[in-house]
Amino acid sequence: MTANEILDMLYGTLHTTGIYNFQWNIVIMWGVGSLFIYLAIAKKYEPLLLLPIGFGIFIVNFPLVPLMGFSHGHPQLFQLFYHYGLKWEVIPCVIFLGLGAMTDFGPLIANPKTLLIGAGAQLGVFITFTGTVLVGFTLKEAASVSIIGGADGPTTIYLTQHLAPQLLGANALAAYSYMAMVPLIQPPIMRMMTNLKERKIRMRQLRPVSHQEKILFPLVTSGIIALLVPSVIPLMGMFMLGNLMKESGVVERLVGTAKDSLMNIVTIFLGISVGATMQADKFLSWKPLFIFSLGLVDFAVCTIGGIVTVKIMNLFLKEKINPLIGSAGVSAVPMAARVSQTEGLKYDRTNHLLMHAVGPNLAGVIGSAAAAGMFIAMFD
Amino acid sequence: MKKTALLFLILLLFPVVSNAEDFLGAPVVANGKENLRTDARLEMKSSLSHDEVVLFYREQFKGVPDIKFRDWKDATYIEDDGARPWHSITISKDEKDGASILIVKDNWTWIIGTLILRYIGVFAVLMIVFMGMVVSGKIISSFVRRAEAKKAAG
Repeated sequence: MTANEILDMLYGTLHTTGIYNFQWNIVIMWGVGSLFIYLAIAKKYEPLLLLPIGFGIFIVNFPLVPLMGFSHGHPQLFQLFYHYGLKWEVIPCVIFLGLGAMTDFGPLIANPKTLLIGAGAQLGVFITFTGTVLVGFTLKEAASVSIIGGADGPTTIYLTQHLAPQLLGANALAAYSYMAMVPLIQPPIMRMMTNLKERKIRMRQLRPVSHQEKILFPLVTSGIIALLVPSVIPLMGMFMLGNLMKESGVVERLVGTAKDSLMNIVTIFLGISVGATMQADKFLSWKPLFIFSLGLVDFAVCTIGGIVTVKIMNLFLKEKINPLIGSAGVSAVPMAARVSQTEGLKYDRTNHLLMHAVGPNLAGVIGSAAAAGMFIAMFD
Repeated sequence: MKKTALLFLILLLFPVVSNAEDFLGAPVVANGKENLRTDARLEMKSSLSHDEVVLFYREQFKGVPDIKFRDWKDATYIEDDGARPWHSITISKDEKDGASILIVKDNWTWIIGTLILRYIGVFAVLMIVFMGMVVSGKIISSFVRRAEAKKAAG
């Protein structure tokens, strides 16, 4: 064997390594992936999602890794997760099934007028749409970006996959990041939008809700949603099915599976699939950066929308609502409700707002799904 | 067949049409008279009738994704939901001396209008859920009360 042949062989071997195909931009994505892994582990920000997302970003951004492409016409591993999980819109719906199985709608049923707060908190969604179109996003992209303010991960993924799949990674990441940062983002806005007297408003204890009412709620709600915004019934139908299973009390095993094992399994696939969509050549552009900055504004306006809705309602109500629970209308269950509780306690140590805030919090889930349905109807 | 024949007739009568220019990437019927042209808006009057202009655009956009034709009372509205630089083409109806055509970059009247309407729509959906909950709650409560009264009496 000659030296030339040996060199050729070495050169050929080098060709098959990632080192030869290295590009500088993937280093940035390693940084992004590592940042999310750090936030998940060190700061405990949405670790269940940010950890697999961060690892997904990290690992797909190595040259030649057979993860998100096709080998001999067959999808590679992450491509397979992405295709059947997200492209087919299965994962967001299954997550909603698990969420439904975990949710107690009692506080919302006991005080149904808090549903309107969930609608008011969608203000940012519609305002952001305008801003996004102004900077040059297409209408479909604008709709998918604006839903981030609704602070509902599965709904954001569902709508983005439906209208602008090319933004899936950025949108999902922005949605989950801001959801994790609810305790940092919302309190200053809540203080800015309310005065001391309003923050001290005490609300009457919620009435007990009967078992029959809790069983009827998912049926009535899914029926109404199916009639008015049928495009989001895959999401809301699964949400209500999960809740019906829980409230019926006759399928404990299914409830247990839906809220534990199944939820955990799909969360792993969701995180990896979302992270895997963020390859350097697709992700590194001005759009994801813009989505991140506008997402923050979107979230803030949604918070303001919820608080302002409570203030408007208070003009007409005999029994006033504490506007601090308005911020919970952005969804982000149950974090946003906890923030309302914490803020309320700062001004009156005996004023517990948690259960009151759960109502608008759950209304926010329905509200953001309704907003997503409105957008889908706009383009279908 | 009828439509194809009509289009053939248009192309025969107005050969310029087949070499249509464009505005922001949207095809423009070439025999029209421009009334206003800015970077974001083109208003023109065509000697073609409304139906002929619509047929022209239907042919131009055949198989093109994200294009929608909406038939309104006073006009046909063509909308792009994709990434094209133009947003809408409005072709007026009921004009005897030809159709007026308006091509715009971003139709803000439509965008703002539809957003307000959809925001109100979210309220309407939740308001109806609210009413559904109140009604079903009352029905259930009355049943529960009756059952409890029966129990107490028995």
